[in-house]
Amino acid sequence: MPELTIDGRKVEVAPGTNLIEAARKLAIEIPYYCYHPALAPVGSCRMCQVEILDAGKPPRVTIACRTEASNGLNVSTTGKDCVAARAATLEFLLANHPLDCPICDKAGECDLQDFTYRHGSGVGRFTEPKRATLKHEPIGDHILLDQERCILCTRCVRFMDEYAKSPSLVVAGRGDRNVIAIFPGEPIHSNYEGNLADICPVGALTLKEFRFKSRVWDLDTEESVCTGCDRGCSILLDTKRNKTLRVRPRVNLQVNGHFICDQGRFGLLDALNPVGREELGWVNGARVTAAEAASALATTLAAERGKWLVLLSARLTCEELLLAKAALRPLAKQLAYVPVAAAGGDEILFTGRRAANQKAIERLGITALSEEAAANLLAEPTTVGLLSFDGALAARLMSQLPAAAKSRRLAIVDVIAKAVMANAAVMANAVLKPPHGAELFVPGTLFSEKDGTFLNVGGVLQRARRAQRWPQGTVSESQLLLQVAASGGVSLAELTAKPDLTFALLEALGQPGAMLAQLPDDGLKLAAATEVAVA
Amino acid sequence: MENYLSTEFARSGPLLLAEALNKGRYKTAQRVFELMTPEQVVDEVKNSGLRGRGGAWFPTGIKWSFMPKPPLKGPSYLVINADEGEPGTFKDRAIMEKDPHLLLEGILIGSFAIRAETAFLYIRGEYLTAHDALATAIAELEQAGFLGDAVFGTKHRLRIVLHRGAGAYICGEETALLNSLEGRRGEPRPKPPFPAVYGAFGRPTSVNNVETLANVPAIVEHGAAWFKSVGTAQAPGHLLFGISGAVERPGCYELPLGTTARELVEKHAGGVKGGKKMRAFIPGGASTGFLPPEKLDVAMDPESLKKEGTMLGTGGIIVIPEEISVVDAARVFSRFFRHETCGQCSPCREGSAWSDQVIARFQRGEGQREDFTLLEEIMRGSKQRTICVFPEAFAGPLGSAIKHFRGEFESAMTTQQAPHA
Repeated sequence: MPELTIDGRKVEVAPGTNLIEAARKLAIEIPYYCYHPALAPVGSCRMCQVEILDAGKPPRVTIACRTEASNGLNVSTTGKDCVAARAATLEFLLANHPLDCPICDKAGECDLQDFTYRHGSGVGRFTEPKRATLKHEPIGDHILLDQERCILCTRCVRFMDEYAKSPSLVVAGRGDRNVIAIFPGEPIHSNYEGNLADICPVGALTLKEFRFKSRVWDLDTEESVCTGCDRGCSILLDTKRNKTLRVRPRVNLQVNGHFICDQGRFGLLDALNPVGREELGWVNGARVTAAEAASALATTLAAERGKWLVLLSARLTCEELLLAKAALRPLAKQLAYVPVAAAGGDEILFTGRRAANQKAIERLGITALSEEAAANLLAEPTTVGLLSFDGALAARLMSQLPAAAKSRRLAIVDVIAKAVMANAAVMANAVLKPPHGAELFVPGTLFSEKDGTFLNVGGVLQRARRAQRWPQGTVSESQLLLQVAASGGVSLAELTAKPDLTFALLEALGQPGAMLAQLPDDGLKLAAATEVAVA
Repeated sequence: MENYLSTEFARSGPLLLAEALNKGRYKTAQRVFELMTPEQVVDEVKNSGLRGRGGAWFPTGIKWSFMPKPPLKGPSYLVINADEGEPGTFKDRAIMEKDPHLLLEGILIGSFAIRAETAFLYIRGEYLTAHDALATAIAELEQAGFLGDAVFGTKHRLRIVLHRGAGAYICGEETALLNSLEGRRGEPRPKPPFPAVYGAFGRPTSVNNVETLANVPAIVEHGAAWFKSVGTAQAPGHLLFGISGAVERPGCYELPLGTTARELVEKHAGGVKGGKKMRAFIPGGASTGFLPPEKLDVAMDPESLKKEGTMLGTGGIIVIPEEISVVDAARVFSRFFRHETCGQCSPCREGSAWSDQVIARFQRGEGQREDFTLLEEIMRGSKQRTICVFPEAFAGPLGSAIKHFRGEFESAMTTQQAPHA
């Protein structure tokens, strides 16, 4: 392992590490634009200039991104030549930049702003007319291109080529007429387009979905996990006034690297801001509070012990699944889940299996039923009803029932939009009805509204932090399950005696020792399945 | 020493193979393929002191010695840089249009020396006449069995791929040329890796200039000692000096390296046109910048010009007469370099455009005293700070104009107070 010196401090790095990453290990900032840890370095922005010190020779200015750390290398990031070189590069980059920060979505998290403050000069000397090129030009489904703001680092071009495997951007023109462009009439068509707004170091590529939505410094950010598929990419949720305004990737080399897909990014944006969400419960066609609906459900399950088919959902956190298994198995005729198959995934991140926590359900030893088997079980005369944590699945199963079994009762715990009577022609006269005609409906919560963990397809357990408040009066799934257990006389003492549910979960998965707060930021990679004994 | 590069320049069309053979052409190449080893050829060229005529003056034999030796792990390539684009330079064009077989014989020997079985001849897109002459000549060689699977009936193979550029000055930079040849954007590659390690299509490649290769047959025929008998100790041989601009007899002149600029301009090119005075001259193509007439006695070789703070470059002299101001002439070049930078590196892309705009202000009589500092800092901020040496090229005319002709810029300054002063 080469050991080198940067600004007088020694650091040991893996062979092949470049000087930017070596300096990062020492928390020394070497500014850069064209370099990106996930892309091959091209060395064209000339921002990352440092000095190589060699005894008896004048300092040699070179670029850090394409210089590999080698044993005994002595690097300065503060020598006057490299400081001047970086300032000169910034002055060049700013010469034709429009400086429209007050109306730019990137302001506040812009590398051009930040590096200019830290490495640039306070005054510009460029007095010529600035270049006029295309502004806010749509180049795909989500991305707008502003060629005037662009500093031509070409990260976007290389991202589409190297990572998204969908070459769709080019540098067109030559010299100071260079612009980033799509091929004529061929907009970007990729599941990874959204990342362009993240990797663009300036405000040249911005998201339609976030345009003028907020200044970034007004956002609250929480670390979370994408539930778009069971890859479970590490993400950041940016919220403002309880609305999720933006979903961004969070670097996690053992799950998703530096990026996320558009299915996740924009799917979550919709899922976490549900339109017309039903916030009240339903019992026998009457709208009641969520608490009243929860009580009714708990009473029903206790009274009709062993008669309900209960189907869990992969939308639930690991802790909720653990609790559900303990609370519901003694009360249900059968506790099961319907596995979701992968469809339409890609070779990069998106698995196509839209069931974020399916791996956790599997590893907890819950019975898997095909949709057909579940419908058959529901149709059995000894089954009185279905409790489903997935509204859409419940609706599908109920519609498959033979005429003789049409009387099966339905209880749903999920986040669902308000259902309106089909004949309610005018909204003012809209008549609400229970979602999917459920006898019992308890409004569920979104994963972003609670703390918990998700186990991804590769066996990495990651923490999703609470980023949003749930609607006032909501009973969370955990509260509901505790109430169900209490009503049914099921003891949860074995779980509640543990430091927390995550601790109990890890114990159940055969890898004991950590509480929720002790999980590493990039998640805990679990040992390959030591299958949990089915109780 | 008799001329060995320009013997056919007086012709109206290219020398064809039949006549070339009558003149003894390809005898050297045949002897090389039949009797010599690649090492012997490389050693002969190395001993001759031949240096690259494309402008960088790197020793050709040393460049060839970087190429892989057996056992080879795959193909090596010879790439011929015929993308002659330096303003004031037209020597390669003369060779290719009039004497394509001189170059081709050099290519045959060069390919043999570096064990290449494919040579890519990358020719400037605008050089249509030269292209057609080469295409004909290559077809003649194929017909004659001098190319193909059994060159001169030996076991050696060679094919020559003629490839036209698309009109970019930067593609004369060897790695931009390789990118362009591969169908990519013509942008220089970061070095290392150098072409000898990772060149065309990722294979070891030697990129050589047309005139350089045209020297090779004579060197191999007559020997290193013969070659070193003319020119300077460090830069032996003849050079094709192109003289253009305001002279009586512009053209391409074959003379020993180290000939003075004065001899070239006054004796061979007949002096400044119309007997006028000279305001400035450019010694070796646009990027070498301006020199005042007092420097006419400089010897035209790399070392002597380096002492004057400039370069021999391609040896293309441009003479600027008294009626043209150096400010105007500098603007011509700043506009050229602004137009031709590939633009991948920020300092070069922005610096070439910015400096052009500043010179334009001087041209309009709106220069300001601060602009001298600004121009110097634009040059300092971009020189040696990019992937290739393009900023050195645009700083050549700009820096030398200010250095030697500052007075002309000062008289082109505004009389108004600077807005920020």
